[in-house]
Amino acid sequence: MAAATASRSGLRSALPLLAPAYLWLTVAIFLPLSAMVFFSFMTELPLSGKPWAFTLGNYAAFFSQSLYLTLLLASLRLGLEVTLWCIVIGYPAAYVLAKVLKGRSREAIFLLVILPFWSNGLVRIFSWAMVLREGGILDTALNAVLPFKINIDLMYSYPAVIIGLVHSYVPYMVLTCYLTLQAIDDSLIEAGRSLGASRLQVLKRVIIPLSMPGLVAGAALIFVPVVGSFMEPRILGGRTGTFYGTVIEDQFVAVFNWPLGAALSFILLAVVLVILAAASPVLKRAA
Amino acid sequence: MATTRVLEWLGRLYIWLLLAFLYLPIIIMALMSFNVSPFYQLPFEWTTEWYASLWQNDQLIAATWNSVEIAVITTIVCTVLGSAASLALYRYEFRGKKFLQALLFPPIAIPWLITGTAMLIFFFGVGIGRGLHAILLGHVALALPYVIVVVSARLQTFAPELEEAARSLGANQWQVTWRVTLPWIMPGVIAGGLFAFAVSFDQFVVSYFLATPGQTTLPVEIYAAIRKGFTPEINAVSTIIIVVSMALMLLTARFFKFGGEK
Amino acid sequence: MRMPDLTALLTATAVFTSALAFAAKADEVHVLNWKGYGTDEPWAVEAFEKATGNKVINDFFNSEQEMLTKIRTNPGLYDVVMINAAFNDQAMDGKLIQPIDTSKLPNYADISKDKAGSPMLVHDGKVYGVPWVWGLTALAINEKSFDKPPTSIAEMWDAAHKGRVVIRDDAVEAVQFGAIATGQNINDIKDMDAVKTKLTSLMPQIKTFWSSENDWNQMVASNQIDIGTYWSGSADRAKTHFKLPVSLVVPQEGAVAWLDAFSIPVGAKNVAGAEAFINYMIDPKFYVEWVTKVGAPVSANTKAVEALPEDAFNRKVMGDPEVAKRIQFQAPITDAQREAYLALWQQLKVDVK
Repeated sequence: MAAATASRSGLRSALPLLAPAYLWLTVAIFLPLSAMVFFSFMTELPLSGKPWAFTLGNYAAFFSQSLYLTLLLASLRLGLEVTLWCIVIGYPAAYVLAKVLKGRSREAIFLLVILPFWSNGLVRIFSWAMVLREGGILDTALNAVLPFKINIDLMYSYPAVIIGLVHSYVPYMVLTCYLTLQAIDDSLIEAGRSLGASRLQVLKRVIIPLSMPGLVAGAALIFVPVVGSFMEPRILGGRTGTFYGTVIEDQFVAVFNWPLGAALSFILLAVVLVILAAASPVLKRAA
Repeated sequence: MATTRVLEWLGRLYIWLLLAFLYLPIIIMALMSFNVSPFYQLPFEWTTEWYASLWQNDQLIAATWNSVEIAVITTIVCTVLGSAASLALYRYEFRGKKFLQALLFPPIAIPWLITGTAMLIFFFGVGIGRGLHAILLGHVALALPYVIVVVSARLQTFAPELEEAARSLGANQWQVTWRVTLPWIMPGVIAGGLFAFAVSFDQFVVSYFLATPGQTTLPVEIYAAIRKGFTPEINAVSTIIIVVSMALMLLTARFFKFGGEK
Repeated sequence: MRMPDLTALLTATAVFTSALAFAAKADEVHVLNWKGYGTDEPWAVEAFEKATGNKVINDFFNSEQEMLTKIRTNPGLYDVVMINAAFNDQAMDGKLIQPIDTSKLPNYADISKDKAGSPMLVHDGKVYGVPWVWGLTALAINEKSFDKPPTSIAEMWDAAHKGRVVIRDDAVEAVQFGAIATGQNINDIKDMDAVKTKLTSLMPQIKTFWSSENDWNQMVASNQIDIGTYWSGSADRAKTHFKLPVSLVVPQEGAVAWLDAFSIPVGAKNVAGAEAFINYMIDPKFYVEWVTKVGAPVSANTKAVEALPEDAFNRKVMGDPEVAKRIQFQAPITDAQREAYLALWQQLKVDVK
């Protein structure tokens, strides 16, 4: 039904609404990134004053060393795990927010969920270190409650990276799911119930399909940046904190090899886009 | 319906648990701003010296104001441009639409480090240079895709018949948008704005490349500080920001409805 | 349409903001350095401004490469830049820095001869860098974990410290550390396989890779580590200024030494101000105050070091001729070497994951 309205007018009507946003994106992101694409095919950076030539070597480097593929897979797994945790934790919260809470308290909690975002990411990570380390707050609190002695030292481990990232990204999921869940008419749910459907059936047949756009948007907004993240893994992961994003960072910061760093990031971008494209029909069918 | 009541009760409990998880590090951050040790050392010793020295730290205060200004302008620009673009992507069908939608992902997917470097080179090359204006230019571009994705998700739930109905009652395109569509997507626009603010306010990588000595933002100051001069002044300023924004938000929630009440 | 009007307004705002953009003034001295590294001490800035009438504006970098990029992309913005001597070559080759007229720097005469004459800073008889301070990348220990300070680098491999060892997340530093542990010259590593084997056996010992002084101090404050690589100036600052249980160990196998120097970028708008500032930075009065108030590396100015109390760390330990024999100064590293070191370091980090 959307198509009926949509096909009525074309690009000409869309342009005035689209142009400002896309022009801004072009000047501030697409053109700079195109320059980076150009660099990724160079042997040397023109800025460095050395002679340069075109090469595919930077892209070939990805395939010639098993290190990059290993790390890319590790990063994709990290992205997937963080996204799943965010769905598991965030979706029910969004449902409660949209369908259970009413009135002013809902608005207040909606805002409270996003507020932690406004604190500085680095300071948040340092605070997590306080919680997770041996003799930290989690360790002390659990030992005060539990009758037996346990040692909790999650700091500098893979779980610490997951916890830090889920904490940073779960509000995305809550908000995007809230937006579509809230739009579902309560009468649809009641109709389903009065026709004898169980709660679970209503959830599966009505609520989840109708809220799918929010779930998909949230998942994309979480999965995509987490795959390239480098700061949280580096600080919270310790010895296990080496990921695809951190080797890109090294190329830029430590050895100034921007061409290789850029090539590695465009490979990451291509892989992420392929995954999103492959996932979209599956998700549409689910909806 | 006893089951319904139990489920509702569990739901509320769950929300409070989630809030506890979200606020745990924030509370620790605030506590450490009152601790004597600059290295988060325990046992806790009460002090307000970090707030006192923050008061003297003109550079940090100036950077904080810059951050607030840039985040507010970014939020306004992004919500306006982003909502317009989402509306166009929702309403009209044209060739290349899928491509335009796919274009929203590179800014999110490419690590900010690379985007920041690219902006630095490009802005340097075309004469935009560095400074607050460059940071603003960059922040808007980084936050726009988030706003468009979020508002689009909300638009997916919109029933086009509503627009048709309004039109058949004689409303013109502008009135339809203003009176029917916009109120419906308002929760999405608000959420998008909150995202944009967060993206800008916490953005350090791109700002870092584009800042100049006199014109920096708070995250840039913090990033530079952790190298050597980190002090709980950073915690103090973050705590003040959280407390003030919490007060502002609760006040807003008190006087406006924007959760999309039907 | 209303939308484009609004956009025009906002674009106009952005353009207006850019008109206010920053321009360098003649009586300002723009300094580029690590943050919290002497040049931005408020008391020092104030004293210098009072004495010369110049206003000091500090900018910071987080890596040498970033520093070079900043000079390259902001010609004419900076008047003074602090460059590690091993990078001076690169800055000079890129025509980023200019020769310095040392006759304008009264304190230059007191710089120790071996540092002032370093081939890394002087090219064709022209001085491209004024030595400021030097220090070591050695070991530091958490005093709570040791009854008696260790003397050998082998302590890092001791099973008793498993999971309580740290090393900096820096490929060059890691490889040079490996070279010292295998008894090699850090500037001419012949047996890279030995370095790799040695570092591979170190990896399981490691708790995390530190990247800032703050990381190290936080970990020692919460008693999470026993031993690790650390910078001499930072270890001294942790002990004297922050009262943390940290002490520096210069192992019998040796340690990596580095030299930091000041340069003046090509196109600097205030060369006279830059010269005055550099002269002030190598002045004994500034140095003694810096060491006392904050904690600092060792000055390249011999008179400045002599002005310290006799038992001062920078005089007693760092000035010890026995220590001087053990240390190796870092020489410039080629890009190819740097990339090879990074490849090795990344592989080690992936293998231990």
